[in-house]
This record gives sequence, C-alpha cells and structure tokens, in this order.
Amino acid sequence: MNPTEDQIYVIIFATLFLGGIMSTFVISMVFIHRQRQVQNRQKMDQIKSEHEKTLLNIENEIQQETLTYIGRELHDNIGQLLSLAKLNFGSLKENKREEGKEILSQAIQEVRGLSKQLNLDWVETLSINEFIAQQLERIQNTGFCEASLEADLELLDLPKDHKLVLIRVIQESLNNAIKHASPDKIHVSIYENGSSKHILIKDDGKGFDTSQDSQGSGMFNLRKRMETIGGQFELNSVIGKGTEITLTLPN
Amino acid sequence: MDSRLLEAFNHWFTISSNLLVMVGLIFFIKLPKSQKTNIKFWFPFIILAFTVSYENLGAYTNYNFEFKKSVNAFLGNIEYPRFNLWLYNVTERQIGALLFLGLIRMWLAPSQKRYITWMMYAFLAVVLFLKLTGMELMYLHQPIIFALGANMILIGCGLYFIGIITQEQYLESNPLKLISFWLMTFIMFTFSLSYISSVTLLYLYFVNPVLGKFLQNIGNFMTLMNLGVLTLTIASPFLPIQFEKEPSYESN
Repeated sequence: MNPTEDQIYVIIFATLFLGGIMSTFVISMVFIHRQRQVQNRQKMDQIKSEHEKTLLNIENEIQQETLTYIGRELHDNIGQLLSLAKLNFGSLKENKREEGKEILSQAIQEVRGLSKQLNLDWVETLSINEFIAQQLERIQNTGFCEASLEADLELLDLPKDHKLVLIRVIQESLNNAIKHASPDKIHVSIYENGSSKHILIKDDGKGFDTSQDSQGSGMFNLRKRMETIGGQFELNSVIGKGTEITLTLPN
Repeated sequence: MDSRLLEAFNHWFTISSNLLVMVGLIFFIKLPKSQKTNIKFWFPFIILAFTVSYENLGAYTNYNFEFKKSVNAFLGNIEYPRFNLWLYNVTERQIGALLFLGLIRMWLAPSQKRYITWMMYAFLAVVLFLKLTGMELMYLHQPIIFALGANMILIGCGLYFIGIITQEQYLESNPLKLISFWLMTFIMFTFSLSYISSVTLLYLYFVNPVLGKFLQNIGNFMTLMNLGVLTLTIASPFLPIQFEKEPSYESN
C-alpha cells in the first residue's frame, strides 16, 4: 500500500466516520426527545392530578365549613326562632299566636336559605364580590370587628375551579385574621393594576413574624393553591401592625 | 441553440435543481397570502431561488469561457482563467452561509436566537477582514471562510437539536413530522460532508479523479436534498398528514 492509497483510505474513512457521527447524533436526539416527551407527559399528568386533588380538597373544606355554619345557624338562629314560635303558639293571646306565625315563616325562610348552601351550586351563581360581601357581613354581624369591602371591578366569568380556590383562600385568610389576629378592622379591596386583577385582604390585628414555620405552613398551603390556578399569593405582616394578603388572579 | 450551452446545463444536478425551484415557485404562488408573507415560507423560497440561480450562473460560466476569464481578470486572476471559484466563494460560502444561519435562527427559541445573530456579525466581520487584508483571495479557495461558515451552521443546527429536547413546545410534537427537523438534519449532513469534500477535492482530482468525482457527486446530491427539503418546507401547508404544524415560541 503506497502513501497515496493510504490518504485515499483516510479520506473515505473520515467521510464515513463523519456521516456516522452525524447519523448517531440525529438518532440520539430523536431518542432523547422521545424519553423527555414521556417524562413531560408524566409531569403534566401529575400536575393535572394534583390540581384535581387540590380542587377536591377545597370542595370538601368548603362543604365542611358550610356544615359548621349550618350547624351554628340551626342552633343559634333557627333553634331560637322555633323555640320562640313554640312559646308564642302556647299563649292564649291572639296577637302572640300571630307573632308566632310570623316567626315560623321567618324560620322557614332561614331553612330555605340554609338548604341552598348544602351543595356547591351556589358557587356558580354567586360572584366573588358577592361572596366577599357576604363573608364580611357575617363577620360584621357577629360584632367581632368592623369589616368593609371596596371594589373597583366586578369579578365575573371566572371558571368554577378558579372560583372554588379563590373562595377557599379568601375564607381561610379571613378565618385566620379572626382566629389569630384579633383585629379591630378587616378591609378587603378588589382592584385592577394594568392587566392583572388583585384582591387585597388587610387587617390591623396583631400581625406575625412571617419567617416562623408554624405560621408559614398554612400560608404555604394557600400560596400553593393559588399557584395551581396560575395565580399568586403574597403575604406581608409586621408584628403589631397587622397583615396584608394580596391575591393576584390568573390572567 | 449552441451545443455547448446545452452541454453546460445538461447535468443531472442542474436539471433537478431547476425542476425543484419550479415546483417551489408553484407551491409558493399557491400559498395563502398570510403564509406568503410569513418568513417561515418566503425565506426558504429565497434560499431555494438564490441557490438555483448561482448554480445556473455557475453552469453558464462553464459555457461562456470569455465571461469567466474577464471576471477572473477583473479580480486579478490571470493564472487560472478557467476557475469560477469567485462565484461560489461569494454566493455559496458567504451569502449562502449567512442565509442558512438566518434560516436556522428562524427556528430557534428567542433565547438562542441572539447567539446566531452574534455569529452572523462575527462571520461578516471575519470575511471583511480576510478580504481586505488579502489573506483569502476571492478567486481562490477560501478554507478559513468556508470552515468558519460551516462550523457556525453546525453549531446553529446543534442549538436547534438542543431546543427540540428542552423546549416544551417541541416536546409536545413528533420531530419526525416536523419540516424544521428534516431541514436541520439535511443542512447538518450537507455542511459536514461538504467539509471533507472541500478539503480533499483538489487533492483527489489529482491522485484519484474517480473518487474525486464521486465525492463531488455526494456533495451535489446533498445540496439537491437540501433544496428538496426547502421545497417541501414551502409545500408543507399542503401536506398536513405528513407534516405537523411547527411549534411556535411567539406565545412565550
């Protein structure tokens, strides 16, 4: 074999080698793509199932909360009304019996109102603004603290899953304020900042140290729930100066 | 008609490339207006038309020796009047390299596009420097410019392949049904094989003309395949079963 022949073989070998490397590269890319595609699909399925699980948990929690509220209403409100009606019906005076009838009608109205809350259909008929107003009215009625709402816009046409998450997060934020902060005032505002919509829940209660784990875990849960619908949860609290929660709605 | 002219154009590569540009033109005319103005369709058509034009001009220079000789003389090449390297240096190795880099850039994620933009500027700067300093003459082989262009194109193809395994938009589609995948694969093969062809061609023509001719035919075949995929890119909206819609980064 002479040197020229050697060089020709080198050229042929180099061409084949380069072609082989390119082919291997492209085939490997296709295989890696397939693998990543499977992993990506698994990840998406996992996110979807986590989202469904979160929604299911939220529905359960809302129902639990509703049942607690109904139980309290049955005991404190309807029970009292029925007892009063019974007393009035036992009276010999005509006007007392008439009053008893009125109280009974009121009790029937209250029962009808409560029965509507037993399933989650109300979520679809009620807007977020109406829900917040209702919650704040309840707080105000208890006389626990002053509660006010200021809305620059009406949050309509939200998908049911977004609404469920928002309702639960708002409910939990208000519950936390009442349970732990002992505020004199709770103020909720709904506003728009550019293209994003926000709900601000502000109290002038005790406040807390946000870096402490015991306080953080519940908040972490609320943050995660907002993230499952593509929203954001932001918390600011200073000891002695109250707490501010900003919920950013998904676009 | 002059028999030499017929002879110059009567080559399987010239005939096939001209047929491809005609098919490409028909499909381009048939495209809806919205797609005609879309860079993903008109840019491949520009490359297709440009490549076939300079290949035809190359064939013409082999017919019209006087024209070739006068251009060579104008560029200062009196020694090799039969060479038409000046044409391929300017069109294929310089403008062509920039056009292919632009084509690759089109299919990349916005974060990767800037690498190609910088490469294009760097390429242009190096080409100007080498020409102005006379380090690589227009009418002779330009190995540095060719190697630089080919390497940049190979890096661009690599970036595309990284994109298809990392970007979510591409992970949702089947790469074998994406025209961009085949385009990048053929560009990569063409430029890596023409690398060897370019380095060894002159040597092989001296020591083994049969192998030299064979290697040149491989290069021509790969160029033709490239032109074929460019034609398919223009025709892809008419082939919805064979090709999926290309993922878009625009929503990001």
